[in-house]
Amino acid sequence: MGAIGQFFHAIPLDLIIIQTVNGLVTGMILALIASGLTLIFGIMDVVNFAHGELFMLGAYIGFVLFAATGSFWLALVGSSLVVAILGAALQIATLRPLIGRDPLNTILVTFGISLILQNYALWQFGSTVRRVPQPVSQQFTLFYLQYPWYRILIAFLSAAIIGAFWAFLKYGKFGIWIRATAQDRVMAQAMGIPVPWVYTGVFAIGAAMAAASGVLFAPLVGVSHTMGLDWVLQAFIVVVVGGMGNLGGSIVAAIFISLLEAYASIWLDPSQAVILSFVVLILTLLFRPTGLFASATR
Amino acid sequence: MTEKWKQEKWAEDIWYRGKTTRRRLVGWGAGAIGAAMLIPAPWRAAFGAAKSYKIGSEQPLSGAGAAGGKTAVVGLQMAADRINKNGGINGRPVELDIVDDESSPAVARQKSEKLAQEDNIDAHVGGFLSNICLACMPVWMDAKIVNMISVCLDTTLTTTHCNRYSFRTYDYAPAQAVAFAPTLTKMAKKWYIVFADYSWGQSTRDAYVAEIKKNGGEVVGTTGIPLNTPDMTPFLSKISGNFDGLFGIDFGKDGVTLATQAYDLGLTKKYKWAGDGSISESTNLLAIGNKIDGFIAINRYIPVFQGPLDTPYHRTWFNEAKQRLAKIDPSGPLPDKYVQSNYEALNALKIGMEKSKFQGRSDTMKLIEALEGLELKAGPDFPQGDKMIRKEDHQAFPQEFIFEVSGGTYHLRETVPGAKTIVPPACTFSA
Repeated sequence: MGAIGQFFHAIPLDLIIIQTVNGLVTGMILALIASGLTLIFGIMDVVNFAHGELFMLGAYIGFVLFAATGSFWLALVGSSLVVAILGAALQIATLRPLIGRDPLNTILVTFGISLILQNYALWQFGSTVRRVPQPVSQQFTLFYLQYPWYRILIAFLSAAIIGAFWAFLKYGKFGIWIRATAQDRVMAQAMGIPVPWVYTGVFAIGAAMAAASGVLFAPLVGVSHTMGLDWVLQAFIVVVVGGMGNLGGSIVAAIFISLLEAYASIWLDPSQAVILSFVVLILTLLFRPTGLFASATR
Repeated sequence: MTEKWKQEKWAEDIWYRGKTTRRRLVGWGAGAIGAAMLIPAPWRAAFGAAKSYKIGSEQPLSGAGAAGGKTAVVGLQMAADRINKNGGINGRPVELDIVDDESSPAVARQKSEKLAQEDNIDAHVGGFLSNICLACMPVWMDAKIVNMISVCLDTTLTTTHCNRYSFRTYDYAPAQAVAFAPTLTKMAKKWYIVFADYSWGQSTRDAYVAEIKKNGGEVVGTTGIPLNTPDMTPFLSKISGNFDGLFGIDFGKDGVTLATQAYDLGLTKKYKWAGDGSISESTNLLAIGNKIDGFIAINRYIPVFQGPLDTPYHRTWFNEAKQRLAKIDPSGPLPDKYVQSNYEALNALKIGMEKSKFQGRSDTMKLIEALEGLELKAGPDFPQGDKMIRKEDHQAFPQEFIFEVSGGTYHLRETVPGAKTIVPPACTFSA
């Protein structure tokens, strides 16, 4: 048996399976966050630096709704709706007047919004980390671990939300408008599609997806004013690696990067494992700047 | 009806005739600001023309450390208000000059230089994140300003990176490890450590590895998780093997993530679960809920009235801190060690300034000499208890509390006197 054979023989199978599950779960959460981000960029050409704060705001609103209703599922739906409305209002008030201007303007505006939302959350909710309980608290035995069913549920729910969104884009009237606007906004407008409202709708949907992922993830980490920052950097990496504006590419990239980090952590320190996603980013920018999964034209 | 006032004669000039121009609005605004500046601050009336002592403080008021920074400022403000209410220092009031370091070492360094060079502060009390304290210590040394570190826990601040101008009036990891290791080795012989992978976490890990070994135990493995890791499960999943105890070193929201996800994976039930008290600070307990039940930890301060903390002055301090915290956090958290150590750091500085008859930065060396070896007696100034600032490394050794968390509250199991936590100094001051 050669060195390579010995290497594969030495791989602990239990750990490989555990890390595959971990990578898929983390990947699906990341995919849900990144799909909102890539949607907004793909349609509107807006790099939304406030996306992490919409994720955080979704979690806080979920916490408030859970406290009021006692239902996690109501909190999930309610928070997504509230943040969608807020997202629409933000788009109308701050981004719509900038349509056609230098993209730097939108970057600055969304960065400003992120700072405002973050400090608002700190002012409104204070320094105490808030709790949203898991709707499913059971665990199952996965080799030497007790693995929470809730993490599996998150992966399925994220997949379901992304799947529903894909179906909406493919078959829904508004979805067709969105695709038409993405393909050629001038022609779409000429055909009578209300492009400014498509933009507003897209921003609202992206915000709702961020909020939904915030509520889903809140039981695993608690709700704090900086929780969005932790995810948004990875989401940006995923969007770039997947191809800016490419929804399918972002999903594949999210799973790919999460699996890569999970497998790497078997042999490497966590600090080295997380560097891998940056390595992938750099290699992508060097050798395929349009993204690993970018389509020929956008 | 709501518009009726516009018909009034007095309102005509500013509304009815449409004369509320931008220029007029700016004029009124500037006038109002000017008038506000002329009204003296409350303490000015009490101190007459006495020049205030300017105490600078860099704190993370935005960014990743903002939650802790805001809490720290509560302690600082409490001490300053109390000092001014009781006649100030040497008959002069204290004025705080608080800057936001944005949780960034680069920004902190820049703002510290501004505090030293432009704002001309007399002394500095602050520093929350260890990497920021380490980055800013040379600034205080170069400007010859006394630096009372108020939260940073990195060991090297008073060992390999120590300097004549910096003081720490609370504990550090080697002392905590000395205090906690006997309990840990009674709980289990073989330990695995999960730590926050940055300066504080690493130095705390090293201290526990050494002390557990000294007490006949063994650390069989460690995993460092980078700060702000959104999902720790892939890294925690790797933890298995031949050991009996899991020891956690983390703080803030990362502490919540560690405790929650370790519980979710069954690790805290499978192994004895202990760690640094920062994981179970009061601002974290609400989020972790009953998932942290049974956690044994050590801390220099816990918000309870048990053992040596059952004193009238601690109760008074606790109640005021709680009221002030409720103003910045509607959930009404209990005071934590960040409030306590900022409060006590400023009070220690006050005693040093009084003892040295400090008048300004030209008296810095006299102030340093007064602080070296200074005994801080338990009382309203130091509700946590007695402590002494060791001359050789400017490190204090307060009593430590070993406690268990259950039912959302702290249960004191043991108090370790400061004298039993002392470790030899490992600092050489440069000339």
